[in-house]
Amino acid sequence: MSDLDDFKATYFDECSELLTELEEQFAAISDGERTPDRLNAVFRAIHSIKGGAGAFGFSALVGFAHAYETLLDHVRDGRIDLSDEVSKLCVRANDIVADFVAAAREGQALASDYGQEEKQRFDALCSGDDDGGAPIDDFDIEFVPVMVNLGGDAPAESDSFEAPPLAGATGQWEIHFAPHSELYARANDPLLLFRELATLGELTLRAVLSDVPPLGDFEPHGVYCSWEISLVAPATIEAKILEVFEFVEGNCDLSVVYLGAEALEAAEAAPVAEAAEEVAFPSFGDLAASIAPTPRPEPVIRTEPMTLRATPAPEPTAAHPEAETERRNGVQSIRVDLDKVDRVVNMVGELVITQSMLTQQMDETLRARYQELVRGLEVLAQTTRGLQDSVMAIRAQPVKSVFSRMPRLARELAQKTGKKIRLETIGENTEIDKTVIEQLSDPLTHMIRNSADHGIESPEKRIANGKPDTGVIRLSAEQAGGNILIIVEDDGAGINREKVLQVARDRGVIAPEAQLTDEQIDQLIFAPGFSTADAVSDISGRGVGMDVVLSNIKKIGGSVHVRSWTGRGTRMTLRLPLTLAVLDVMLVKVATSPYVIPLSSIVETIQCSRADFGRAPSGAKVLQVRGEYVQVIDLAIRFELPSDAHENNRFVVLCEAEGSVKVALIVDDIIGQQQVVIKSLEENFERIEGIAGGTILGDGNVALIVDVQGLKSMHLEHRNAA
Amino acid sequence: MEALGFRDDAADRTAAIAQNSLQLIAFSIGEQTYGVEITTVREIRAWNGATPLPNTREFVRGVINLRGTIVPIFDLRARFGDGQTSPTKNHVVVVLSVGDKWVGILVDAVSDILTVSKDDIHNVPEGNSVDTELLNGIVTHDSRMVGLIDLHAVVSGAKADA
Repeated sequence: MSDLDDFKATYFDECSELLTELEEQFAAISDGERTPDRLNAVFRAIHSIKGGAGAFGFSALVGFAHAYETLLDHVRDGRIDLSDEVSKLCVRANDIVADFVAAAREGQALASDYGQEEKQRFDALCSGDDDGGAPIDDFDIEFVPVMVNLGGDAPAESDSFEAPPLAGATGQWEIHFAPHSELYARANDPLLLFRELATLGELTLRAVLSDVPPLGDFEPHGVYCSWEISLVAPATIEAKILEVFEFVEGNCDLSVVYLGAEALEAAEAAPVAEAAEEVAFPSFGDLAASIAPTPRPEPVIRTEPMTLRATPAPEPTAAHPEAETERRNGVQSIRVDLDKVDRVVNMVGELVITQSMLTQQMDETLRARYQELVRGLEVLAQTTRGLQDSVMAIRAQPVKSVFSRMPRLARELAQKTGKKIRLETIGENTEIDKTVIEQLSDPLTHMIRNSADHGIESPEKRIANGKPDTGVIRLSAEQAGGNILIIVEDDGAGINREKVLQVARDRGVIAPEAQLTDEQIDQLIFAPGFSTADAVSDISGRGVGMDVVLSNIKKIGGSVHVRSWTGRGTRMTLRLPLTLAVLDVMLVKVATSPYVIPLSSIVETIQCSRADFGRAPSGAKVLQVRGEYVQVIDLAIRFELPSDAHENNRFVVLCEAEGSVKVALIVDDIIGQQQVVIKSLEENFERIEGIAGGTILGDGNVALIVDVQGLKSMHLEHRNAA
Repeated sequence: MEALGFRDDAADRTAAIAQNSLQLIAFSIGEQTYGVEITTVREIRAWNGATPLPNTREFVRGVINLRGTIVPIFDLRARFGDGQTSPTKNHVVVVLSVGDKWVGILVDAVSDILTVSKDDIHNVPEGNSVDTELLNGIVTHDSRMVGLIDLHAVVSGAKADA
């Protein structure tokens, strides 16, 4: 991977974080928390996205982000009121920015007019609401670009673009540009900036090399070159010039001075007001001094489009770099490749196994003889456990990262269905293992779709039923013991059980004469290929969806439960393990081989001698337990292992597969319960039906993890084939 | 420039020799000697049992724990259709990398490291389908016949129904 690709990957990582932050901030803002801090945070996020996009040349994204940023700036200044309409437009704009970022990441092109409508609305709002001489607002703190030595801020300059002081006149601009080393460190290239400048007018460029030290003092990463640029261009383009340098603001010393039309004829033009620069950069004084040795003539400023210079540099300009530093120091985190973390997790898993193996080796005689050793082993056990917890904590992440994608989905669904939907999120700081979080996105999307499409009624119907016209979908996360509960509930109509039952019968999901409890009927919505939608819509109805929820959640060792109240709503609960790396299992023996069965799927164990076996009409063995007939799978036969255990000494492990369907596994012996670390079989081999993976036992041997669901479906296939 | 030219020439010649020769790890199964390229060998360890994998062909002996990773073991004798090996502590597992996977093959003993010329590699004679399927070629070394194992072929088709 090239450096540029690395930078891009980092940029996209940052973008997704920033987009998450945008969602959060706007959620708070639409809840009425319209504080300057929040607006500034939004502004900052958009600005950072734009900055990076410029560096990588994602021009469509830059264009849109820029227009959006201008709007935000006006909102921040109070020049535009953050009305509902504007707020909606902003939310829409966030979505568009997200789309642009996604398109850039995938290397796809969006329609050329994508976002144009919104962009025009920004422009209309911005130009309609200001008169060119807008006052500098009191909470304009963060983003007054530092580089401007003219005393005004950049957006204020763009106002001067609307009402140019000297419209049409062409004159000479003098720009002094002295990049700091950070500018290069952030992969900016001055050449690109100059090329951009050249598009504005006739460009003359002079590199100032007087600061270049003798070779002996030369630092490879030092920056010794600055540029003096004269540009022949209209007097009105200051905003455009500043725009060119926008991505590097704060990473360079920049001064832009208009010398007027006369300067064109003048033999030598004189740039830069040094004094003004110092006023504008009190905290950069030393930096300004460092470029001072560059011999420059006294500034001659002849024309007056500099009226804005009279405005005193706003106080917050100085505060900006400090705020920035504080923010940087405040974030005490590093970005680490997940692979590296996983390697540590794996090794800690090994350590735990080794440690338990050592402890097992200590018999009574050894214990009595080597007390120091015993004490050492006890400390080792404690430390290992602590280490394991800490490593798992590294992988843990707040569910926020997936929750924050949902408001957008809800908005889109509301738009498509014409329903009014409000999404509430609770407990988004609950932390779960990163792998679990990654697996959550699809199920949550399907569940919210389902709630919006089937649960929430149309506004008219809701009002007719005495409910508020806006339906609520509540998404919450909480920790309950060793599990995380993710709950999606809505205040819609609830599950239409008659319809569900009817459809299930029609599609052969259940036998025509089967009698089901309400709860069992509710669970039917998770059956594969099941959909009650009358018509296949954009949103749902194709019958994929809820079964995806169930299979994804099962895959990560969780369970799904649905409960519905007719006319009052539906609640779907996902119960997820805190971590994927450790699994509670029952260790059993089939023939001579060790197998483990996930504890979460076990209902009970019965001795074979006490079990009530029978024969189904087809001749297949069944187990009768509390009035229910359960399919029996003899693992020794299934796995083709020779078992010499006496029938009565064997055990039945009653398990629950998908959709509360039970299946009875017969094993030769039950050894005990323990926690194991899951290892992949596919890594070096291939997937085996009925086996979910492997694990390493305390004695270093491999045990295989039984995949209850897989066994069951496999059994059915065999039967159907026969 | 002449000196430089000479050096290039010499470098080329060394490269040619290196390119044209092959280092093999040779191991035995009964009377037969087989070899794999030494660069594919990750480690050699004594047989210490394996956990059998259900519903796989008889030449899949099971899986072992190799420092926390689960590695499948293939019984090379069974793969060549000579029935399963009854392994003892003296039998050897050669751990190899095949593509991005690690696999172990169970053999009777590791005998030698051989350097052979690529020119000495002969095609496998037609006739025995197992040999043509599993061998890349045959090479003669010290009047011994060494079969070059095609690792990808050996590890394929491991599932019982495949």
